[in-house]
Amino acid sequence: MAGTEWEPKIVAFCCNWCSYGGADTAGMGRFQQPSSLRIIRVMCSGRIDPMHVFNAFLEGADAVLVTGCHLGDCHYVNGNYKAQVRYQFLEEMVRELGLEPERLQLNWISASEGEKFANFIRDVTAQIKQLGPSPLKPEGVN
Amino acid sequence: MVGIGDKLLGYATNPDVRNRGASGGLVTAVLAAALEKGMVEGVVVLKRIDEYEAIPVITDDVQEVLASGGSMHAVPVNLTKHAVGRKIAMPGKPCDVRGVIEQAKRNGVDLENTYIVGLNCGGSMHPVVTREMLIRMYEIDPEDVVGEEIEKGKLIFKTKDGEEKAISIDELEEAGYGRRENCRYCTIKIPTNADLACGNWGVIGELAGSATFCEVMNEKGKRLLDNAIEAGFIEVQPADEKSIAIRNKVNSAMLKLGDEWKGRLLTEIHDQERLTYYIEQFADCIDCGACREVCPVCTCGEDSKCTMFHSLADNYKMSMYHMVRLLHLSDSCIGCGQCSDICPVDIPVTTIFRRFADPAQKKRDYSPGMDLQRPPFLELMLK
Amino acid sequence: MVKESSVKETEAADTPRIGVFVCECGVNIGGVVNCRAVADYASTLPNVATSVVNKYACSDAGQSEIKQAIKDHDLNRVLVASCTPKTHEPIFRACVEEGGLNPYLFEFVNIREHCSWIHMQDKENATKKASELVRMGVSRAQLLEPLQSTVVPVTNKALVIGAGVAGMQAALDIADMGYKVYLVEKNPSIGGKMAQLDKTFPTNDCSICILGPKMVEVSRNRNIQLMTYSEVEEVEGYVGNFRARVRHKSRFVDVTTCTGCGSCVQKCPIEVPDFEFNEGIGTRKAIYVPFPQAVPLRAVVDRSVCIDCGACIKACQSHSIKMEQEETFSDLEVGVIVVTTGYDIYDPEPANDFGYGIYDNVITGMELERLLNASGPTMGKLVRPSDVKPPKRVGFIQCVGSRDKKRNRYCSGFCCMYALKDAQLIKEKYPDSEVYIMYMDIRAPFRNYEEFYDRARDMGIKFIRGKPGKVSEDRDNSVIVRVEDTLTNNIYNLELDLLVLSVGAVASESSERVRQLLKVSRAADGFMMEAHPKLKPVDTTLDGIFIGGVTQGPKDIPYSVSQGSACAARATRYLAQGKATTEGITVEVDEDICVGCGICVPMCPFQALSLADGKLAIIKALCKGCGTCAVACPTGALQQSHFKNQQLFAQVRSVFTFEGE
Ligand SMILES: Cc1cc2nc3c(=O)[nH]c(=O)nc-3n(C[C@H](O)[C@H](O)[C@H](O)COP(=O)(O)OP(=O)(O)OC[C@H]3O[C@@H](n4cnc5c(N)ncnc54)[C@H](O)[C@@H]3O)c2cc1C
Ligand SMILES: Cc1cc2nc3c(=O)[nH]c(=O)nc-3n(C[C@H](O)[C@H](O)[C@H](O)COP(=O)(O)OP(=O)(O)OC[C@H]3O[C@@H](n4cnc5c(N)ncnc54)[C@H](O)[C@@H]3O)c2cc1C
Ligand code: SF4
Ligand code: SF4
Ligand code: FES
Repeated sequence: MAGTEWEPKIVAFCCNWCSYGGADTAGMGRFQQPSSLRIIRVMCSGRIDPMHVFNAFLEGADAVLVTGCHLGDCHYVNGNYKAQVRYQFLEEMVRELGLEPERLQLNWISASEGEKFANFIRDVTAQIKQLGPSPLKPEGVN
Repeated sequence: MVGIGDKLLGYATNPDVRNRGASGGLVTAVLAAALEKGMVEGVVVLKRIDEYEAIPVITDDVQEVLASGGSMHAVPVNLTKHAVGRKIAMPGKPCDVRGVIEQAKRNGVDLENTYIVGLNCGGSMHPVVTREMLIRMYEIDPEDVVGEEIEKGKLIFKTKDGEEKAISIDELEEAGYGRRENCRYCTIKIPTNADLACGNWGVIGELAGSATFCEVMNEKGKRLLDNAIEAGFIEVQPADEKSIAIRNKVNSAMLKLGDEWKGRLLTEIHDQERLTYYIEQFADCIDCGACREVCPVCTCGEDSKCTMFHSLADNYKMSMYHMVRLLHLSDSCIGCGQCSDICPVDIPVTTIFRRFADPAQKKRDYSPGMDLQRPPFLELMLK
Repeated sequence: MVKESSVKETEAADTPRIGVFVCECGVNIGGVVNCRAVADYASTLPNVATSVVNKYACSDAGQSEIKQAIKDHDLNRVLVASCTPKTHEPIFRACVEEGGLNPYLFEFVNIREHCSWIHMQDKENATKKASELVRMGVSRAQLLEPLQSTVVPVTNKALVIGAGVAGMQAALDIADMGYKVYLVEKNPSIGGKMAQLDKTFPTNDCSICILGPKMVEVSRNRNIQLMTYSEVEEVEGYVGNFRARVRHKSRFVDVTTCTGCGSCVQKCPIEVPDFEFNEGIGTRKAIYVPFPQAVPLRAVVDRSVCIDCGACIKACQSHSIKMEQEETFSDLEVGVIVVTTGYDIYDPEPANDFGYGIYDNVITGMELERLLNASGPTMGKLVRPSDVKPPKRVGFIQCVGSRDKKRNRYCSGFCCMYALKDAQLIKEKYPDSEVYIMYMDIRAPFRNYEEFYDRARDMGIKFIRGKPGKVSEDRDNSVIVRVEDTLTNNIYNLELDLLVLSVGAVASESSERVRQLLKVSRAADGFMMEAHPKLKPVDTTLDGIFIGGVTQGPKDIPYSVSQGSACAARATRYLAQGKATTEGITVEVDEDICVGCGICVPMCPFQALSLADGKLAIIKALCKGCGTCAVACPTGALQQSHFKNQQLFAQVRSVFTFEGE
């Protein structure tokens, strides 16, 4: 891609207790990140509905991130295990659909892992810049 | 008294019923006996309109049951939803039975109160396609047909003036007719998930054509048969080794053929083209919701998560309605073909669902509709 | 857009009037983001009634401005764009509540941690992103609904499970605050592991001498109902309203008449190894009194070895032995539960760590405690198991079963200290003995612990920094330990009479049972997990259930006792108030849409859901508002309030704009 830098739009679903906290910690540590990320806060990764993930793609997300507490650390016992099972299913669907697998990613990030959060966002943004806008993005949307 | 696991040959004692029956009229007689003796309050029968159309109705009239024999190969309707909320006995193709069991997992059906006499099924045909086939391949006026039969791989039609014409099913299917696509690669031909598994495979020698092969699958199946025998509606004898062997052999051969069909019908689409393929297929969707209405697995009422997106159809590049349906059902899809049959704009909904469902179910070694043990939704597979 | 939910007759039914407050947070936000521009942009968004910039929104002045604006502009939604909800949401919720709004009609947008601090070099994009984040918040705010938290009454009684030192402390504190406590202990006597110890670091006072009086205090306290030899079998309910079923195992002795005199014990002909109290070193009879200071001091019959000879029955003058006694049950109703079920000692036998289980003279730290104890099987005479002779050369290996990737990664915390203690005790009793401690690091924090370590060195105990490789046995049953001192690079082949393994703590099976019963989370190390590692160390994610002592992770006695007290304090808050407020964010079901498929029911880790008459029933007090069930519901009948589908859709949709919009 030549000329002006295109900035993807990445939607991340974060659980209140861990990954949202990880994003906060990244901020407190002043780990600089691309401005591509939009966080949707939910209480637990178990609330991340695959329907909302698809909806985000169809609204125009270039990538969607599913994040939560590390396995075993969920504040509601095992919400992230449920999220994991749903995610695996979703991942298979995305593959079958023919959407590039990089556009859907899962990561467990604790509230203390600010640097990990920032690195994750940098990596994903770089990958998506390579890929270009999502083929599911409606015309004229950004 | 019969035992669970018994493999029997049997027929209706009433000669009319035996004659009218596709095989030995046993299925009809067993259903009638269950009603007669008060095991159930009603029986699901197919009310025949013509060769290509029949309406499932629930009757509490034993005579009406007795008159309902015969197999209708061009009536692919699914009977599942007739079992919902009632105390009935019903016949059922493997996909009917699977639907009932999926409903039971979602509290739609109480299996304790539902008796299912399973029918072997090599596949059924779409009525519209069958009419067209009669004109094109058989050169018979569909209205003249009075009977139809499958023998030695050939589909035979009889006309009102006593003529018969047979064409091999392979030939028909090569030409795009014959069984519905999903039937061709269906993996359950013998309904081992029903209470009884009945069919004509394995009925040989002098009984051929006038007896039904019947396997007792569980306690309820045993009750059904014992009841019919006691009521004097049927007679049964153990099937010999040869019968059993032939039934197994035909079944394996059919399953193998099914695998080949699967390869041909679910052809791989290149990574780069798949997304476009799906977008294009769903682009025709008019959000009528008919496919969800007929789905035997879905228990949702009028409102559900998928219908929330009907009004948004225009904004998106891809049908969100279908995405949500895929999310909710492709783990439990039984491939019955109802959605494709009903779609007014001819979206191959079933084929698309199978493309998602097949690998997902295989990966988890999960076959929906076969028993109550495995929970319906993938998320429940957490341990 | 998405189908409207049936909005209730509340303030939410009004057209939203949103007040937007963009906080500069001094220069934290204002130095990067052009807050004025953000506020101006916000004022162009639908239903925004006012949009202003605050210097510090959370300050008194800032909060007053918000409250004033609610009045002046008749706001029914408030959006603050500032820092993180994790710290400031409660503050602003309280603020809007004071301003007269339902606290859940407040929307938080994070433009500091998630914007100004991570785009410090790119002011233009930071401002643009902040505006977009505010836009997302405004869309969500439109759809916010007022929520009510439920207040439930609290039964003013407590259940404490496990009567080790932590549980005893918790029970005593709650009882002393005036509330009834049921203290359930699975063993015939209370006391836990501490009752087995000889001395305690760092003061080396006699363990049972300080614990014994406390045990008696527990048995005397009128508010404590002691239930020994009992286990909790079932628990249901929620904060304030738990019902627990306790099984009282049969002792075959009438505790109301038995005096613990021990006449029966003398007459009993059956003698078996005493695993319960003496780590299998000494013996006990089929009928026995657990230990001399046991509370309650009553006999108990081990029916698995009893031969029914009847000798004890004849010997008992109070006719207390009742071989036909059956187990009984109690059903308790309590408001809070404290779990102090302690730990198990790491068992080196299955893996034969350092020859344990193969060589007679390799023992664990707890076995040593019993060998050193004056009322132990050897009356406090230290002997080695193979020939019952006093050992001259004793070695300790530290971190057995702990800090070991193949076994347990964590540090058990107290093993360094107890090895230092026991080494000193040996040196004191037998000054001419040689004592070695082989260690990786000595961990001795807290008051007088480092001094305790110094003292051990001063006493001539030898420290070898290194984890031994090979252990073998000599002809006379001495143990040969090969170890490299990594500080000096010397390799030693120590010939020892006795080798002590400083084994650590592991999560116990009996704790695990209780954990599963109560659905407390489990940490990666197997112990029970606290709600927050720093700020809620004895709370669990379950309201009204608290954990303390080693059940929450390895710790020593002072720390266990502190946690016992902490549990008491935390738990008593509910008892004192007589009521508990449960989470306002819960799930709600639309009965018209629910088809009763029941798919959601098993999703809930807290058993808040069930089916009744073909429809879903929710116990609000049990729901913690995670929302997992709402995802599973195929019909959308089940929705998590504050995170409804429509609210999330709106938020996601407004991430994007059409070109030129
Ligand atoms: C579409 C179809 C394909 C079949 N393919 C095979 C096969 O490949 N191999 C094999 O061994 N057997 C097959 N059978 C089963 C076989 O035709 C007989 O139904 C079975 O042997 C029982 O015979 P019967 O005389 O005892 O049944 P009958 O006494 O004739 O009773 C038949 C029962 O089936 C019901 N029925 C008829 N048509 C349908 C339909 N389309 N859907 C649901 N229920 C229906 C009737 O209402 C009646 O209750 C098939 C049946 C059908 C309906
Ligand atoms: C060899 C050794 C030496 C030590 N020396 C010292 C020392 O000198 N100084 C020091 O500070 N610390 C020392 N410790 C640590 C000390 O043992 C612990 O800190 C302390 O015992 C923890 O007390 P607790 O109440 O948490 O657990 P525990 O003492 O384990 O008590 C738990 C109680 O709960 C009961 N219980 C378990 N499950 C159930 C159930 N399901 N239902 C009902 N009851 C149940 C148990 O029977 C037990 O009575 C030593 C540890 C070891 C292994
Ligand atoms: S939101 Fe979570 S806690 Fe509440 S009922 Fe649903 S699964 Fe249970
Ligand atoms: S999953 Fe939804 S429809 Fe099914 S019972 Fe639960 S709330 Fe009702
Ligand atoms: S709370 Fe973070 S994943 Fe459940």
